[in-house]
Amino acid sequence: MRNYEIMFIVNPNTPEEEVDKINSQVEGVITSGGGQVQKTEKMGKRKLAYEIDRHREGHYVLFVVTANGDIVREVERRLRVMDPVIKYITVRTDEDTKRLDKVKAFRQRRATRRSTQQRSAAAVAELPEEPGEEEEM
Amino acid sequence: MATQKQYYRRKKVCKFCVERIDSINYKDVKLLSQFVPERAKIMPRRISGVCTPHQRQLSDAIKKARNIALLPFTSE
Repeated sequence: MRNYEIMFIVNPNTPEEEVDKINSQVEGVITSGGGQVQKTEKMGKRKLAYEIDRHREGHYVLFVVTANGDIVREVERRLRVMDPVIKYITVRTDEDTKRLDKVKAFRQRRATRRSTQQRSAAAVAELPEEPGEEEEM
Repeated sequence: MATQKQYYRRKKVCKFCVERIDSINYKDVKLLSQFVPERAKIMPRRISGVCTPHQRQLSDAIKKARNIALLPFTSE
């Protein structure tokens, strides 16, 4: 099972209920295939950066799901045949989050190491200076 | 020596390293659009000063964002 983000744009002229219907359909496909929907987000009506099928804006919908390749393929097929959906994209996110966790863990480790180093440095400073160092001058 | 430049050029630093931005997400249009000038091209490293690993992530994110019409491919 992998984590994906599925984002699609619905025709701006479709009513809100229609968008909800599409969402529940997509959700149905995912859950019936054994996947899980982590989050659904309707990002509302936005201006498109470029024209798609003569549309200048669209309803953006974001799904964050845990699923396997077959489910994603099926969802993409459904989205392709749905008329109101004008564009979709699927992005795999688990590798990104894995890398992020690694970076975070590394940073955490370094922070703890630095604080212990500081403490030991302070301990060294408290000790009386070694006489050997000054003789070299 | 005669043509020595008078002005001081500030050293560029990677925005993502300085501000500790770990994930460059394709949905973050506000952030990405800072690196997409008017012609809608991806800003080169030599101008923006972004470090290589971050530039790679950034260009990936911009390309994803273009695909879903969050950012333009071209400006007409």
